[in-house]
Order: sequence, then structure tokens, then C-alpha cells
Amino acid sequence: MATSSAGGDKFTRNLVIGMVALVVVVGAAFSYFGSKGSTTAATPSSVSKTDGYGIVFNADVKNVPTIDVYEDFQCPICARFESINGATLEKAITEKKAKVVYHTLSFLGTESILAANASACAADEDKFLAFHKAFYSNQPAENAGAITATFLKSIGASIGITSSKFATCVDNGGYAGWVKNVAEAGAKANVNSTPTVFVNGKELDRNTQYFSPEAFAKAIAG
Amino acid sequence: MNLNLIDKFAMGEYGKWFGLLARLILGGVLFAAGWLKIFTPAKSQMAVRAYEVLPISVANFFGIALPWFEIGLGILLVFGIAVRLSAMLGGALMVLFIAAISQAWARGLSIDCGCFGGGGSVAPGQTKYLSEILRDTGLALLGLYLFRYPLTRFAVEKLAKSEGE
Repeated sequence: MATSSAGGDKFTRNLVIGMVALVVVVGAAFSYFGSKGSTTAATPSSVSKTDGYGIVFNADVKNVPTIDVYEDFQCPICARFESINGATLEKAITEKKAKVVYHTLSFLGTESILAANASACAADEDKFLAFHKAFYSNQPAENAGAITATFLKSIGASIGITSSKFATCVDNGGYAGWVKNVAEAGAKANVNSTPTVFVNGKELDRNTQYFSPEAFAKAIAG
Repeated sequence: MNLNLIDKFAMGEYGKWFGLLARLILGGVLFAAGWLKIFTPAKSQMAVRAYEVLPISVANFFGIALPWFEIGLGILLVFGIAVRLSAMLGGALMVLFIAAISQAWARGLSIDCGCFGGGGSVAPGQTKYLSEILRDTGLALLGLYLFRYPLTRFAVEKLAKSEGE
């Protein structure tokens, strides 16, 4: 680098470079710690840490395939996926034909975090699947400001959740820490798109198995 | 190419204005690219992972750090501070992006580059690899120009005057 004729210039230059470097480092650290999960976060009862903090159905059923479903409540293709395959998954759960783990990712933004939190509140009422279904059939546009506590409580009310515990849980975002844990586990599992479905740890074929009800039903049969 | 002609242009009055334009474009694009990603770090991590080059933990680190690095370079270029260094780093970053996108294309992955937010897997047929590579090539050339001729109009940095080639 060149030398400066005016000492003040050089000082100012280095000061600015230093400040910009500081912004970069502090910002990156902020992002890192902001998205880092916490082992002490409040967790819904149907969640299994060993299953990537997902909401688990049929955890104790033996000799059935494990189906991991990664979704973001705001993702439009996830709504399409739910409308095509939601009933198939629900049937597999009620008939105990599969262990199903729902991973509610939140990479699309803060409204995804609110929705995932509310789904965990619904899970505490044993209404996760109903909430999941009702939300997707009323899914608002992405990051349009429509997913609020009021909206999420109205989804809850539409499926018969009336408890004040649910309302408080939605209002306070009590499971926000858990939502981060889910996101972090999803990142470690190398999930790069939503929806992503694994059957016994093997990802389904995005070209053929996601949006054909027959192919999907066949794929999750194990 | 006649380097003398380019030298003459770059050292002249028009060249310094062109340098300002190059700084604003490269710096502005870097800043915008970073800004659009810092609010959704999980998505940014996803975009880096989707290239399937780096080990997952390293990709996740870059997904967090890269947007802030782009913002830093963008600020320096727009204001015209440490132009040589930041143009070199910005240009090198573009070359890196071109390499990453090219390998994804060659391997037949279907991803969005995630350059300005977004990213991750997309449906086959929705990829835009060629336009992404052309854009980054243009930006890399601007970086190269600024590296060679860091002396530009309206730069905060005055000492560039003694930094001529």
C-alpha cells in the first residue's frame, strides 16, 4: 500500500476500515448466535431430540418405516404437498403404519417462526395434525404480515382449540427457542429445500415422488 | 488488447468517472446481496449447502459469514476506501461464485444461486446458470479494473493519488 503524504488521511482510512471490519465481525457473530439453538429451550411433549427436535407420531411403534417431513409453514409448495399427501400421511399415522416426524423449519422468515411456534402449542393439545392441515388450507401469502398471533389463534379456534393455555402459548412465542433448535437440526441434516421427505433416511425423488399421491403412498410404505 | 489505450483511458478524466461507476456497481451489488441475506441466515446457509461442495458445517459457517463480508466490501467500495483491496476481494469472490455455479451446472444440480437471498434446490428447468455466470463475470471484470486503476472520482480515500501504477 502507498504511503500517505497527510498523516491524518491514513489514520481516518484505517479507522474506517477497522470500523467496517468490526461491523462485519459483530454482524456475523450476531447472526451466528441469533440462529443458534439452545438445549434448555422449552420443548413440546411430542418432540424427540434424537429425531432432530421434530414432532413425532408413533414413536413407539416397531418395525415400521420412519418418515421425516421437513416443511416451512410459509412455503407455498408445502401447502400443495399437504393438499396432495396430507391425508396419506395422516392415515399412515392413525393406522400405525409409519413413524412420522414433522420438522417445522423457519427459513422463510419471522412469520414462519410464529407459525411453527403455534403448531407446537397445538401439539400440546394433541392437535398438531389438525392445525397443520387447517393452516395449510388457509395459508396466507409469504411474509405479507398476515401471520399474526390473532390469525394463528383463529386457526386454532377453527379446529376446536379453545384453551387459554394455547392462546398464551401463541401470544408469548414460548417455543421460539425450540423452533431454532429444529432449524439448526435441519441445517445439520443438509435439508436444502422444502418440502423434503426422507423415508428411513433416504430422500424421495423430487421429480417423481412428491406430487403424485400414488407414488408417494408407495414410497412411504417403506 | 492494447494496454496503453486502456491505461490512457483509465488515467484520464473519463476513466476516473468510469472507476466511480465501477465502484458503485460492484459495491452496490455486493451490499445489496449481503443485505438481502442477513435477515434470513437459515436460508442463506441452505443456499450454500445446496452447492454440495463444502462439508455441511463449513457451508453453514459460510452461509452466516458471507453476507456480512459482502456488506463490508460493499461499504468500502461505495465510499471508496481501500479500493484496491476491496476490489480484489470482491473480484475474487465473483470468481469463486462463477466456479461454484459452474460446477453445480456441470454436475446437473438444480439450484438457485442464492446470490440475492433465495437459494436452495429448485425444480429442474428453473435454473438460470448462464445469466448468473455472465452477471458475475461482468462484476469480476469491474473488480479487476478497480484493482488495476483504484484512482476514481469521489472516493473518500485521498491517498490513492500516490498509488498510481
